[in-house]
Amino acid sequence: MKQVLEGSHAVSEAVRLARVEVISAYPITPQTHIVEAISEYCANGTMDARFLCVESEHSAMAAVIGAASSGARAFTATSSHGLAYMHELLHWASAARLPIVMAEVNRALGPGWNIWLDQTDSLSQRDTGWIQLYCEDGQEVLDTTLQAFRLAEAVNLPVMVVLDAFFLSHTFEPIDVPEKNQVDQFLPRLSPRIELNTENPYALNQMAGPAVYMEMRHNIEFAMQQAFSRFDEIENEFEASFGRKHGPLDAVACDDAEIILVTAGTTASTCRQVIADLRSRGEKAGLLKLKMFRPFPTDLMRRYLEKTQKLAVIDRNFSFGASGIFAQEIKAALCNAKRRPPVFGYIAGLGGRDVTPQTIEDIYWQTKNSEAPKSESIWIGLNEELVESWSN
Amino acid sequence: MPQKKFDGDIPLFIPRSTISSAENKTGSWRYFRPFYEEKTAPCSAACPVGADIPRVEMLARQGLFKKAGEIILEENPFPSICGRVCFHPCESACNRGDYDQPIAIHSLERFIGDTVLMQGIKADLQPHSTNGKKVAIAGAGPAGLATAYFLSRLGYQSDIFEAQPESGGLLRWGIPDYRLPEDVLKRETSRIEDCGATIHYNTPVTQELLEKIMPTYDAVFIGCGYGRPIQLKIPGEQWAQDGLKFLHRIRTGEPASIQGTAAVVGGGNTAIDVARSLKRLGADPIIVYRRRKQDMPAFEPEIAMALEEDIGLQELAAPIVIQKNDNHPSAADYGYTLTLQKMKVSATPIRGRARVVPDGDICETLNVDHIFMAIGAGPEAFWNPSAPTQISELTLSHCRIIERKVPVIYGGDLVNQPQSVTDAIASGKQGAMALDVYFKQGWGAIEERLASCRVGDGPALSMAAYHNAETKSRKAHVVSFEEINSDYFQSSPRAVPIRLAPDQRIQSFAEIESTLPKEAAVNEAQRCFNCGICTSCDYCRIYCPEVAVIVEKAQRRINLDYCKGCGICVTECPRNAMALEEEKK
Repeated sequence: MKQVLEGSHAVSEAVRLARVEVISAYPITPQTHIVEAISEYCANGTMDARFLCVESEHSAMAAVIGAASSGARAFTATSSHGLAYMHELLHWASAARLPIVMAEVNRALGPGWNIWLDQTDSLSQRDTGWIQLYCEDGQEVLDTTLQAFRLAEAVNLPVMVVLDAFFLSHTFEPIDVPEKNQVDQFLPRLSPRIELNTENPYALNQMAGPAVYMEMRHNIEFAMQQAFSRFDEIENEFEASFGRKHGPLDAVACDDAEIILVTAGTTASTCRQVIADLRSRGEKAGLLKLKMFRPFPTDLMRRYLEKTQKLAVIDRNFSFGASGIFAQEIKAALCNAKRRPPVFGYIAGLGGRDVTPQTIEDIYWQTKNSEAPKSESIWIGLNEELVESWSN
Repeated sequence: MPQKKFDGDIPLFIPRSTISSAENKTGSWRYFRPFYEEKTAPCSAACPVGADIPRVEMLARQGLFKKAGEIILEENPFPSICGRVCFHPCESACNRGDYDQPIAIHSLERFIGDTVLMQGIKADLQPHSTNGKKVAIAGAGPAGLATAYFLSRLGYQSDIFEAQPESGGLLRWGIPDYRLPEDVLKRETSRIEDCGATIHYNTPVTQELLEKIMPTYDAVFIGCGYGRPIQLKIPGEQWAQDGLKFLHRIRTGEPASIQGTAAVVGGGNTAIDVARSLKRLGADPIIVYRRRKQDMPAFEPEIAMALEEDIGLQELAAPIVIQKNDNHPSAADYGYTLTLQKMKVSATPIRGRARVVPDGDICETLNVDHIFMAIGAGPEAFWNPSAPTQISELTLSHCRIIERKVPVIYGGDLVNQPQSVTDAIASGKQGAMALDVYFKQGWGAIEERLASCRVGDGPALSMAAYHNAETKSRKAHVVSFEEINSDYFQSSPRAVPIRLAPDQRIQSFAEIESTLPKEAAVNEAQRCFNCGICTSCDYCRIYCPEVAVIVEKAQRRINLDYCKGCGICVTECPRNAMALEEEKK
């Protein structure tokens, strides 16, 4: 049934439908609405689950690691500094091969203190062994959260469902919320492969020396690589039940595109409109929405990008001393490809600054009118007066 | 990296032991040993009858009202009465008072007492067999009735001799209906006859009767209370009525109404009861007290309710003369003039209580239609226990035992300070236990045996401990608030029973406070810390890193093969029902 839901509550509804057994979280803007609703479900009996209040995100992740180690379906949510605070345990959760699902709301890190959209928080956790899925709208958030449990449990790796601060977390949209019994069929109760049992106790995660550690890492990467096909199967099954499929990448008008815009999250929605406008004016523009960031869909991406003439990557994040993180990853993916179109890296919309259709169109024309990128990163919409005041 | 599709379960290569970790007997690391050790709750220690309040509240929380009633009845035959009229020293001692507000223990006791009465629940108390011994009891007040009750629980027969046509003593004749309704009193006191005691009504115990019956009994308990009002010894005192007798008259059905103004002299519960009764009968009473309000021995909530009912209070005023105004033209409307000496607080207190002295010779007069004296009562002269002689004599906290031809016990108000209902019941319990020890082990064993049944470090005695001397496991140590792990509790307001509004109250003698409804009682019981007792909350087991707490038949024990003595269980125990000791290697 369609309901008008806030993006945050699309996550909460999915967690309720997924019959999660243990939730532990610490509030942080703009994530708080997610766990607020879940805690109410636990308190009023809507969900038969334990909600563990903890004193920090570090403890929240530790608690869900404990819950998942004993075979429970476990969930947490965080944002920005909260995610950074979890960092050590993010590595632990993945190497312990625990199928935890986390909602992560992209928010800027301070200082300056800023609660608005910025992707640097989740992208700087790219090496922790978590699967990362970036969502564009409320419906995708709900669907992806349900799929995330299936995926995590199929490959025994944790999954991060990522959504934009405010533009998605606090925006109300009509969202189709599936029926419980239908979800139960798609997502049955967890049959845990790791389950601590006091009747038959064993030790987990003890010392692993040089003789085995490398193989353990290789085993994680093996599972990561299998996530592509497993996600595909899961999405097909989901589509058969619910009639929706979002894909690890979404290519819009890419087949004959001369310039392809690449981006993630809600910016993709704005791009869709700009692409349509440009096409109506005869421009051969395309959009590649990046949903799955880990594992990185190199092969699939090459298939779309090799054919085009220029790429414009819009990063709402930055790796200081290098470039936008999505741009880096795409350049790396193309490095060994047969054809390598030039990659224009644009930095826009940091800390919640609007990325308007005009911003995107500016990016398009700048790309079209340049032979090659002037620099590795082109910062869009800077207040030149302000910048000049310290650079001269 | 291969992107080849892999069917079936993804291989998991993770650090995980192949043999059971139970092989590792972590108990060998232990330097400290935890153990379960129940301790005494401060409420129990403060209760004159030593009620097992933490266990009662635990059972009430679980909805096990019958079992809770049995635990109460083990120590006290009158929960419905005490829940109404006891001044609940338990609540002043309650550790929860240091956290938010004390548990409404009296309201819960009343709820359980009433539930047991209303549902006609028969308590399954430990059965006893009669031992053929008979005890004579003088007075069917709370002390005498309690003596008979506890004696029957120990196998003795009793005959109670009562001057009045009904039992209850001060509860029946001295406490107004709005505090203790007659039907509650009757239903609860009938418990005594149910357990086999015979009450001889209209039979005042005189010195002659006592001498006559003594040879036919194995022991005598004297709990006649205070029947003789204390005199103020001021001129014109003959014009004043006695407060206690007035209350007695009201409870026998007379008088229907009293008009005019009335002065009630005194500051105890009787003075308050007289004033509030007068108000209900239509009069306009004022309480006259020689000290200040905060010095009044009456229970504070009763004073507050009297003031709410618009009853006057004149503090620091001592009556010095009463005049009758038959021919007094200036005060024609009033029957009497009460002359009051104004008092003031002296700088030097006496026995912890403010001392008042006359404030020079300032006097004032009060013209009223009626004067009542409620300044206390004393025993009839011959009930004063005789001065110590060569015969054996033992003074206990709530009794005095004299070995004559048979043992004679003085109890109740005759020996108690303070003279409360619960202390009277405690006196009956102590007397019954003392007699049982006397008959079984002899005079010399009484003190030691009774001491072994003490609740905590106070004078209260536990009948449960007396019955199960071998299994008594609760330590005398009284749990303090600092020993409670308050992280396990959340602040919540104390249950407040519904009360009639002051203007409704004064219309009749209807009971003011209602019994808590079931949900409110269960909620209130939930607030209890259950200091010192194991409630099977299981936090010791949940937090044990070695899963070394074993639960068998609802009993917990530590598996010493794995307990490494970290002490987490002891720290986590919310109510100090565990302890840690050094391991003796």
